[in-house]
Amino acid sequence: MAGAPLHKILTVVWAAGGASAAARERTQAAAQLAADMKAEFAVLALGLGTGTVAPALAVAGANEILVSEEEALQVAPGEAGLRAIERACELTGADLVLLPADSLGRDWAPRLAYRLGAGLVTEVTDWSLAAGRPIFERLVFGGKAIATMVVAEGRAVAATRPGAGRRDAPPPSGRGEVRALGLPIPLDPLWPRVVRRQSEEREGPGLDEARVIVSGGRGLGGPEGFARLGDLAAALGGALGASRAAVDEGWAPATWQIGQTGKTVAPELYIAVGISGASQHLVGCSKAKTIVAINSDPDAPIFDYARFGVVGDWRVIVPALTAAVKEMRDR
Amino acid sequence: MHAIVLLKRVLDPEIPQTAFSLDPERQEPAVLRHPFVLSVFDGNALELGLKLREARAGDLRITALTLGPRAAEDILRKALALLADAAVHIVGEEDGLAPGVKARVIAAAIRRLPAPDLILCGRQAADWEAGQLGGMLAEALAVPCLPFVSELRPAAGGFDAVQQVESGQVVHRIAGPAVLTVTNDQGNVLRAARIKDVMASRGRELIVFHLRELVPGAGGAEARAEMLSLRLPAPRLRAEIVDGEGPAEKTQGLVRRLREVGAF
Ligand SMILES: Cc1cc2nc3c(=O)[nH]c(=O)nc-3n(C[C@H](O)[C@H](O)[C@H](O)COP(=O)(O)OP(=O)(O)OC[C@H]3O[C@@H](n4cnc5c(N)ncnc54)[C@H](O)[C@@H]3O)c2cc1C
Ligand SMILES: Nc1ncnc2c1ncn2[C@@H]1O[C@H](COP(=O)(O)O)[C@@H](O)[C@H]1O
Repeated sequence: MAGAPLHKILTVVWAAGGASAAARERTQAAAQLAADMKAEFAVLALGLGTGTVAPALAVAGANEILVSEEEALQVAPGEAGLRAIERACELTGADLVLLPADSLGRDWAPRLAYRLGAGLVTEVTDWSLAAGRPIFERLVFGGKAIATMVVAEGRAVAATRPGAGRRDAPPPSGRGEVRALGLPIPLDPLWPRVVRRQSEEREGPGLDEARVIVSGGRGLGGPEGFARLGDLAAALGGALGASRAAVDEGWAPATWQIGQTGKTVAPELYIAVGISGASQHLVGCSKAKTIVAINSDPDAPIFDYARFGVVGDWRVIVPALTAAVKEMRDR
Repeated sequence: MHAIVLLKRVLDPEIPQTAFSLDPERQEPAVLRHPFVLSVFDGNALELGLKLREARAGDLRITALTLGPRAAEDILRKALALLADAAVHIVGEEDGLAPGVKARVIAAAIRRLPAPDLILCGRQAADWEAGQLGGMLAEALAVPCLPFVSELRPAAGGFDAVQQVESGQVVHRIAGPAVLTVTNDQGNVLRAARIKDVMASRGRELIVFHLRELVPGAGGAEARAEMLSLRLPAPRLRAEIVDGEGPAEKTQGLVRRLREVGAF
């Protein structure tokens, strides 16, 4: 690898309404990488109310915090955000930009890389260092293989999945100096603009915070199955998730989808019911501490992955499990 | 009104892990016996196009476009069987093209077609899972991009596009030409073709370009990511199957084991 070491990292967080746990975690991972690379480190915080997030980002290791609270970010977050990031790259001279692999970051990453003429690595799950440049890991072929990638020359953009670069010891606090980006972003009439937001309503904990997740797949055979899984989830104080097949069938909303192209979750306990165990699904729950599979097919691939398995028809196993959980609770 | 839908032919993503292997020499899957299919999100994109045409009472011309080897013609025939109006084949291998160059090649082909009002593609190809082409193509064509669209509706002055985000949905108004990348939802599962349309699609003419004739426009020297290695994930241990006489015993056994390992 001939390229010069990278010397300035910029990470971008969407911080309207505060720095989420995910934003702090990503800042921390980037700060650690900067420390390991002996690179400078800045954060760009985007969204209304961003000014208040500086202390939290400083604790997570941010030295320099650029903020933009332009109105346009609310109406056209993709396009306006991209403008702001380009500007922040100019101001900081960043040669490595770390974006979140979420609905905004995946929008920005290819367009930013194109504009900067930078090398791009998406869906990054982890990294290491060689000669001052990060070597990125990413899953390919639906998680059936792992590729390592490097941008050997020039600037680099990476979109990182939750947990990428997580290390046990957090980096020391950063200086947390706040600076306004100072770029007015007028709305372009040709930009897609937000006309309505519909937030999912859910009883009980969300998928990202639940300690227990009960997920259903095509094996449930219909939407009623999710009502039975709901009883089990309620007894466990958990949340419901779904496979892509269950979402495509219309039995569960897309926001419940867990997997490579759904949510990545990390509960204490993950119970997969009527889910075959496609790699694309497992990628989303591999961080669960304990995985239980309930499936009528003893040869289902999920039994090569779960810690515990029960072979049987969910129609009898799930109600029995709900009863067994309640019994344990009542004792 | 004209919509272009990008379709990629990929190694069947549903091949189970146990049947999946790598060619260490070439750093790619060992594909000998494996089938190729239309990349799944591209199917969702095509379905959105077909639905939009219905919503506009037929007033939408749909062009399917692929860049790939001769064999990729299959997926264009599939689109024609689903009544796409035209199909464009850029014949060539994309291996070795930097993603930005690939975007410029596809943009060059698109410029030779009637100007599109919409370009639909998958959120990510189901092989290398890059999720890069849509955004880069939007840049190459100098139009906006909106990712993760699952539904499209005609609206005053354009379309409303429903975008799937982490917390729910966001509806965006699209006023001019744009690239939309498509994600799955219950409403955009690709329909099946009718036998008679499959038969009819066989004889249809394709619009053919050759990769080398589509000179990618200016874009300068760009950095690119290179793959250093490709490996299989470490195998996991087989699950401990909790057994017993009947469901009550099995599940009580499971609860006991979960308590023993501290999962409750
Ligand atoms: C690019 C790409 C991205 C993808 N992203 C995702 C993703 O993010 N998330 C995701 O989940 N998938 C994703 N997929 C799809 C994935 O490949 C699988 O198709 C999907 O996960 C299968 O869902 P399933 O296990 O519910 O259904 P199936 O594979 O059909 O499995 C159903 C299971 O139910 C069992 N069963 C049947 N009846 C019963 C019964 N009565 N009791 C108990 N068990 C029963 C069967 O034995 C079977 O194992 C993606 C695919 C691609 C190509
Ligand atoms: N060779 C290709 N031909 C046609 N469309 C493609 C090609 N490669 C990628 N695409 C489109 O771009 C999307 C994203 O691809 P990628 O960036 O490779 O993950 C795919 O889902 C396709 O819709």
